[in-house]
Amino acid sequence: MTRYYEDVQPGRELSALDKGPITPAHIMRWSAAVENWHRIHYDQTFAKEHDKLPDILINGSWKQHVLVQLMKDGLGPDGWLWKIQFRYKRMDVAWDALKGNAQVVEKREADGLGFVACRIVLLNQRDEVSTAGVGVGVLPLKGGRTVPYPFVPKPDYPVFALAAD
Amino acid sequence: MDRQENYAKYQGMQGEPQTAAMPLERDTLRRFVQAIMDQDPAYYDEAYAAKTKFDGLTAPPLYPVHAFRLPADVPDPLAVVARDPSADGTAGIMGVSFGLPPIESPYRRLLNGGNEIEFYRSLRVGERAVAQPKYADVTLKEGKSGHMLLVTVETRFTNEAGEPLLLNRQTLIWR
Repeated sequence: MTRYYEDVQPGRELSALDKGPITPAHIMRWSAAVENWHRIHYDQTFAKEHDKLPDILINGSWKQHVLVQLMKDGLGPDGWLWKIQFRYKRMDVAWDALKGNAQVVEKREADGLGFVACRIVLLNQRDEVSTAGVGVGVLPLKGGRTVPYPFVPKPDYPVFALAAD
Repeated sequence: MDRQENYAKYQGMQGEPQTAAMPLERDTLRRFVQAIMDQDPAYYDEAYAAKTKFDGLTAPPLYPVHAFRLPADVPDPLAVVARDPSADGTAGIMGVSFGLPPIESPYRRLLNGGNEIEFYRSLRVGERAVAQPKYADVTLKEGKSGHMLLVTVETRFTNEAGEPLLLNRQTLIWR
């Protein structure tokens, strides 16, 4: 369903998602899907003894797609995720349960489109920050034009002064 | 004593464009979206996808960074793991520098300093991703426990027709 610029407000949630516990099977499925054979993601003996890690690690490369999904789903099929920036704040290991949240911080109109800046975060089951960042999306205005696709940013589009952490 | 001048040759250095070994296939996309647990029908439902702005099945926005797999005719990258118990399994992987020559430095510990990504278009089924990497910035800094090298790799992704897909700026911290 279309989400319009007028539907989102600073201080409100844009979207949330819950990926639940990420088991060794989930981590292996990701490693296989992208053909990343780094052993810290599936070989527990190697992860603990060679890299001195507490357990096999959830891939940062997987977590970035979760942040993208969080913003994309919040913006809906007629919106566009323009920018995302993020930093990994802690390691997540097998059986950690990750959930994401995007909060609208600021919004502005330009060029007949609505620009929305959000703080985005992934938390573990102890509500510790796994990954934190900022997402900027583009939404149509009610009665306005559609968000162009492909999206070609113009130099005078809004710049939001939000740091990733 | 390390100096900024030691890294001058890397500033702005561009790598060779890298083209994905294969165009995006439906089955590859199916496995990928199952792994990220995103059941957006634009990724698998042809009839639905045809009515969207994508006009057909497309990959998730950030998929192109994972489109670069080993072709079938290269030496087995896991062979080294069987010979060397300390090998980490990453031999042959494209990694984050997308074929840029490694920066020669005394630092051995690598941390991810974060990403900034701009999206323009999604990769469609049947398209092949192309990556054009460059060292956008290489800065030596004095940290609490000695020097660290901040490297920003900026990679432009397009399809083979040169249509922009996304721009990924990744900061690597070497200590």
